[in-house]
Amino acid sequence: MNTQLLPLTRQGIIPLLIMVQAIVLLPLWFHLPFWISASTITLLLIRFVIYKKELKLPSWLILLLALCALGGVFIYFRTISGREAGVGLISLMYTFKLLEAKNYRDGALILFISFFILVTAFLYDESILMGVYLLISIMAILMGLIALNSINGVAGIRHLGKISGVALLQALPIMLILFFLFPRLSGPLWAMPSQREKGMGIDNEMIPGSMAGLYGFDEIAFRVDFDGNTPPASQMYWRGVVLSEFNGIAWLIGAESPIRSDAYPVGEPAYSYRVQLEPHNRRWVFGLEDLIEPPKEQVYLFNNYTWRRAQRVTQRLLYQAQSYQLDYSSTELSQWQRQLNTQLPDSGNDQTKDWAISEYEKVGDSEEFVSFVLSYIRQQNFHYTLLPELLEQNVIDGFWLGSREGYCEHYASAFVFIMRAAGIPARVVTGYQGGEYNPYGDYYIIRQKDAHAWTEVWLEGEGWRRVDPTAAIHPSRVDDSLLNQTSSRDDWFADFDSLTTTDSEVARNVWQQISLRWDALQSFWNESLMGYDQDMQFSWLSDLGVKKNQWRYLGYALLATIMLAGAGFGLWILSQAKSRDKVERAYRRFQQVLAKQGVEVKLNEGPKDLLTRIRKEHPEQYAKAVPVIKRYISIRYQKEKSSAASQQSFIKAAKAYH
Amino acid sequence: MKLVSAVRQKFFFWVDKRSPQQQEVTLRQRNIYILPTRYGWLMLMILILILVASINYQNNMGFMAGFVLLAIGMLSVFYTYRNIRGLRIRALKPQSAYVGQKCAFPVVFFNSSSSYRSSIGIGVSKKKVHYFDVEPQSNTLFHVNIKAGRRGLLKPERFVCTSIFPFGIFQAWSWFKPTHAALIYPKPIECPQVLAPQSQGQEQGAFAQKGSEDFYSLRDYQSGDPIKQVMWKAFARERGLLTKEFEEQVGEQHLLTWESVSQYDKELAISYLTDAVIKAEQAGTLYGLELPHTLIGKGQGAEHLHQCLSALALME
Repeated sequence: MNTQLLPLTRQGIIPLLIMVQAIVLLPLWFHLPFWISASTITLLLIRFVIYKKELKLPSWLILLLALCALGGVFIYFRTISGREAGVGLISLMYTFKLLEAKNYRDGALILFISFFILVTAFLYDESILMGVYLLISIMAILMGLIALNSINGVAGIRHLGKISGVALLQALPIMLILFFLFPRLSGPLWAMPSQREKGMGIDNEMIPGSMAGLYGFDEIAFRVDFDGNTPPASQMYWRGVVLSEFNGIAWLIGAESPIRSDAYPVGEPAYSYRVQLEPHNRRWVFGLEDLIEPPKEQVYLFNNYTWRRAQRVTQRLLYQAQSYQLDYSSTELSQWQRQLNTQLPDSGNDQTKDWAISEYEKVGDSEEFVSFVLSYIRQQNFHYTLLPELLEQNVIDGFWLGSREGYCEHYASAFVFIMRAAGIPARVVTGYQGGEYNPYGDYYIIRQKDAHAWTEVWLEGEGWRRVDPTAAIHPSRVDDSLLNQTSSRDDWFADFDSLTTTDSEVARNVWQQISLRWDALQSFWNESLMGYDQDMQFSWLSDLGVKKNQWRYLGYALLATIMLAGAGFGLWILSQAKSRDKVERAYRRFQQVLAKQGVEVKLNEGPKDLLTRIRKEHPEQYAKAVPVIKRYISIRYQKEKSSAASQQSFIKAAKAYH
Repeated sequence: MKLVSAVRQKFFFWVDKRSPQQQEVTLRQRNIYILPTRYGWLMLMILILILVASINYQNNMGFMAGFVLLAIGMLSVFYTYRNIRGLRIRALKPQSAYVGQKCAFPVVFFNSSSSYRSSIGIGVSKKKVHYFDVEPQSNTLFHVNIKAGRRGLLKPERFVCTSIFPFGIFQAWSWFKPTHAALIYPKPIECPQVLAPQSQGQEQGAFAQKGSEDFYSLRDYQSGDPIKQVMWKAFARERGLLTKEFEEQVGEQHLLTWESVSQYDKELAISYLTDAVIKAEQAGTLYGLELPHTLIGKGQGAEHLHQCLSALALME
């Protein structure tokens, strides 16, 4: 290939390259440090100005700027090799490359590297929108490549779009087959230090009133799809963390250790469900109470019946799990467990402590004391609000005997405190409660606003019993306006608030429907495409009867697919070409007959010239040849595509000629 | 290096066997070759990089991007092949040129299909091609310019017709052998001594006395004769085209001989004679050429010039 004859100065190549870079970098601009995003945008603008004004930037200046950028990355990240730093650096160098691009080689390099840069954006985002964007970007890059390899450069966007669009459409089925057949590994090739600090949800400590859990309200924590039986939403307690140590201010995870899942006899699973857990950058793995068998590799069961993952959940985690009914009746609470779950700081919140001791003495029985406290909450003036009065010292005293307003954390915290003060083992459990049903995908969406704290109390002969003190508040004293008001999804549709109330109601309903449908689509995307892994691959293979040597069979299938696709496509092209040549073949046969009759057709002689010549030199053939040649001319030299019928009539006439 | 060139020779022997010398070549499966370009290899590297990153980060979106890329690469084999498939190529007879000039080999492309063929390259080797587009159902004439290095017959060993369209990932190409050779005339160099008149000047002096303007004889018109000398009266009487020959012209006939330049280096001598022939033609005189094994009688005109230059070009 002589690429000197395909320079970048051809019409429209540079603007197209600028466009491709902008498209490829766009998703990264939301994740890169501000200064890197701003620099790349500026560089693209500068490139455009240089192109418009036909300026020339000295190469030493470009080199100097590039070195500055390299230094900037190093100073900002303190490294140039990590993932974030690497992506930042490659984006900067990518735009610098266009600044100094001169020939075909530079253009091709930029376009092929675009594919890689495109993929780095997926490290941040694997949403369905990103999937659509992937197709758009690939199409843009392909358009760039086509223009780069056309002698006239950008002859027309539509022309480029057509070729690249057809190529992309033909590539998609092949991509899907490769995607499902390509063997997957169960873990990474080498461990990557996780640099993603984003993540929200349940913390490893609970400070009532700190409002820590209240941000990212409408963010999805996880989605749950039940197989068969579904418990009522009020009974869905998604267990996450057990907090058993209280230091006077915060509830912390106490001593806990992994145990084997067969430590307790269990019956049939009560419910079976699939979970799509969004990355939350912690090790908790949530499940419907009670949790026993770890649902996935590298997830362990702990002795307080919670699941923990060995690594933080930094990517969406999919798992299938069962909930069981645990039977503790034959079990004694071990001494150290009893100690752990009745521990209280020596001082602080003394009034509540005294209150608990004196009330317990009146009741005398653990189980009755629990119901007494719950009915106390119901009957006394306890309020539920997400914006309680701020309390500073002796928080539990202030809440239980003073303000009497708070949310789940206050109630769980005070309840466990009172139980422990009365000598009953109790602990705080945090997780999520309930969920929103999505009828379009038949699953539940659990959002951050469903985060909840409840308690467990050890009752002799029965074992750990779940008690949700928040549920005991009288419904008339629940102020959940904040729950319904603060909705991040309304940011997009802020205009709705300015509508009249009825309109806004309708709009809200419509919006809710749309968002549920959208979420159902996302759920499918997450589960079937983004969540496709070795487990799923092996599961459909075993459905087909392949229970071992899966990789070998995948290899065979891949090879067979590639060969079949190749052969099929080749045949298709050949058959296309053949049918296209039918007219030409008929015309050649006609020419051969003419030659036999003494009319040698000269090369380069068009049908029109031939006809004129026949009229002059062989008038006896003229009348017979006219219909054939005229038809040929009308098929071949007309602007619009000839119809199959007219081709047929020509072939017939040509064959009939003798 | 020896091994490489031996393999190369073997390879082209095989190629030539597959593409016999023909006036017209149709590009088809039999004679189309296809391989990745250097950018194709670059893309393969990037593809592997993407797949390794996707495996490691267990990023299914990365897998998707990688496999789209792989699929595009696979399809690109067909697209590129299809772009040159079915083209008929015919090399026409080239014009002659002088050494140092560019010799244009005309090549006609027939595209009887209804698809537009973009960026078709043609040249003597894959690294020296020029690009042009071939419209559907059309004939396109293209000249392959080759710098004429030596006098004599110039016949490129093979032409290559190639395409990297649409993505530049694969290059499809086909070789075909041109049937016509171009005649390359020697490079004209002005001789330091005057070549033309000496040899026969003495004898011709006697004839020349009649004066330059005097009518001498009539002969049949030869192409290249000055229009002024055509006898239009005779033409009007339908006696055909006749050329008037004048006394002076007869006196200025030159026979350019090899002896006159034989003291020079052979190639230089040929160049000197070439220059003399051209000058004589331009001056409109009658001239002849005598070479060791060839004698060309006196004459004038483009045909005659070509005859003389060919003799010089092909001189052993």
